[in-house]
Amino acid sequence: MSATKDDIFNLILASTVHDMKNSLSMLGESLNVILASVDQDKLNSDTKANYGVVQYESSRVNNSLMQLLALYKLENEQLPFNPNYVNVNDFFEEQRLRQLHLLEAKNIECEIDVDESIEAVFDECLLSTVLENIIGNAIRYSKSKIVLSCVQGDTTNILVLDDGPGYPGNMIEMAGSYMQGINQSTGSTGLGLFFAQKIADIHSHKGKNGSVHLSNDGALSGGTFEIRIP
Amino acid sequence: MIKYSQMKALIIEDFAEFARAVGTMLRNLGIQYTDTVISGEAAIQACRETKYDIILSDYNLGPNKDGQQVLEELIEFNLIKSDCTFIMVTAEKTAAMVMGALEFQPDSYLTKPFNSQLLKARLDKCIAKNQVLSPIKSLMRQSKWHEAIVKCDEVIQAYPKYRSTCLHKQFECFKNSTQFDKALSLVNNIINERATPWALKGLGSIYVEQEKLEKALDVFEQMTKEFPMALDGYDWLAKIQHQLGSPLDAQKTLEKAVVKSPKLIKRQKYLGQLAEQNNDLETTVNAYRQAVKYGQHSAFSKPDEYVKLTKSLGKKLQGNNSEDRSKIINEAETLFQQIETKFRDDSSTQFRGAVAHADFCSIIKDNKSVDKHLKSARHIFDRIEEHIGAEESLEIADSLKVLGLSQLAESVLEEAVEQYFDDPNFIRQAAKLTNNKHLIENASKANKLNNEAVRLFKKNKYAEAIEYFIQAAEIAPNNVNIRLNQSQALLKQYQSVERNPEHLHTSQDILRNITRLGFTDPRYMRFSELNRLNQLMLQKLD
Repeated sequence: MSATKDDIFNLILASTVHDMKNSLSMLGESLNVILASVDQDKLNSDTKANYGVVQYESSRVNNSLMQLLALYKLENEQLPFNPNYVNVNDFFEEQRLRQLHLLEAKNIECEIDVDESIEAVFDECLLSTVLENIIGNAIRYSKSKIVLSCVQGDTTNILVLDDGPGYPGNMIEMAGSYMQGINQSTGSTGLGLFFAQKIADIHSHKGKNGSVHLSNDGALSGGTFEIRIP
Repeated sequence: MIKYSQMKALIIEDFAEFARAVGTMLRNLGIQYTDTVISGEAAIQACRETKYDIILSDYNLGPNKDGQQVLEELIEFNLIKSDCTFIMVTAEKTAAMVMGALEFQPDSYLTKPFNSQLLKARLDKCIAKNQVLSPIKSLMRQSKWHEAIVKCDEVIQAYPKYRSTCLHKQFECFKNSTQFDKALSLVNNIINERATPWALKGLGSIYVEQEKLEKALDVFEQMTKEFPMALDGYDWLAKIQHQLGSPLDAQKTLEKAVVKSPKLIKRQKYLGQLAEQNNDLETTVNAYRQAVKYGQHSAFSKPDEYVKLTKSLGKKLQGNNSEDRSKIINEAETLFQQIETKFRDDSSTQFRGAVAHADFCSIIKDNKSVDKHLKSARHIFDRIEEHIGAEESLEIADSLKVLGLSQLAESVLEEAVEQYFDDPNFIRQAAKLTNNKHLIENASKANKLNNEAVRLFKKNKYAEAIEYFIQAAEIAPNNVNIRLNQSQALLKQYQSVERNPEHLHTSQDILRNITRLGFTDPRYMRFSELNRLNQLMLQKLD
């Protein structure tokens, strides 16, 4: 029976991810313990940079796992979708904290530019996975600063701006069909955008669905990622 | 600022390395008191001994209880403080996790991996919220609805970000104080802005209270369509479909819910009951099997699903013989053994189990065992202390009649009719089973007297009500409801009419004579509340 086969695969996937995430947590924590035992002043810039690399790569592995699992579940109609009122400022603050080690290691400032009272309805867990990837990439490409902001009108628009070189032209043109953008050269950005679009799409309200937009004309003159939630 | 140094934290995590890492994070926050346990069972025990401010629980806890079951038991059995912050730590958020009932949600989910800064931010947020909302919760627990509603308004003014939570609480207050119009306008405003699962559930539940079932049906159909993950919606929808006379639709609705989340025992049992009514034996057996299975590690496991499963297995054997008979017989025998050991101290369950066992043995034509189990049933009957439930009494009496023990069947019915004469559905079925016509006549007499008394009580004519309660009690001296009513009327009479201590003493005597009420009996809460009030008033006399 194919249903049982799916169930078994689902189980294997879930338990593998569970194990891998436990391992990742341990790696991260052990690294912190090692680092805490070393005199901070004696750390040279190379060590700090390497520390950042480990942080970044492990969060990338983690994020890829989450996306993989979520996409698999989405295909099989098992993805939990649980939209709720979320305070956007708190949400951004947590996103920043998730990336804190990386931000510090790369010496990048993360500014949160949002009215403290703004609330929006979305699945916090899924949006968090989307933004973790987008912010991770923004940090990777930006020179000194990224900004998280939110504008509310008919839709809630969540923006991630960086001061890097901006998104490649072909990626911007791909709007709405990021599936084509998944290849070896676009790597995690391609998958991340595809995932973002899927997640935007399952957010719907009064007949409208969410969407994803890219541009290079942001205030920081780098790339701008925007996800609009109805 | 949150004073972590004075807080007590519990870590529930079966992965020792990770538990240690989390412990370090908590200590770095300033928490000096942390306990770590590796299983749900140990967590429940720890919470009996210590009142924690913070609980961090992994969802996956090995083969027994999971984090959600731990949370449900802690809430149900009142083992955590109302301002305790419960955070569910997960590797990933699965459908089964978020689909628990709305009232059993943790304060927050935290996905692994997380660093100490993120943990701190999350704890800060949840604890701050719990501290602000704690006075509201406390007022609600004391049934001070009006004060709670006012407090909610204050909190919304001071902390706009808790508006949604406060509106939810306000709705509960309106509903509990039967201000249905206000409750309705509150949820309708929310739904017009943007429907949420709790608002729809609230709207539908008010319609049910007002017996507007068609309207409620529409609401829950909308809820299951718009929020297919909010499984409460399916439970309500099924209940309404059932009440509107479509048990088949109700079964289909519940089947959708158990596919998404099979763990809820109550839902599986209701599915079993519906399928039984629909003569769908396969589904009946399956649903009760799941109820027994998921009850293995749950404190919500009841003897009922065990007995019901043996009954439906018996029916299966009666039907066709091509099935593997010995396998089914073994399954049933195992269940009877489990009933004997798991619920050893519950004599009314042992009685019910023995009768069901005899019934099952007669189906497989093992007459020697039938006699053996009936003999032990007779033996147990004399030492039953607690009242047997209405539905259970009917099941037992029915089996006993079939097995030829009419006299014992009549005794069981007699006691049950005395207890449950105010339940018309029960009386209808009991009338079919009994040969004793007086029994039903008396029940109807007692019922009339009790109803008349309740009517007078509601008009604040306590002295007259008491007279009628006394007359009703003469016909049904062991009926708990009449006695509780009478006691309540006496206390009211004392409070609001004449401060005659005699009323308090009479009430106390009545309550003292209620000795067969089990802790799990639905009437127990009212009994213990009246007892408490009575004691308080007596203390003031001294």
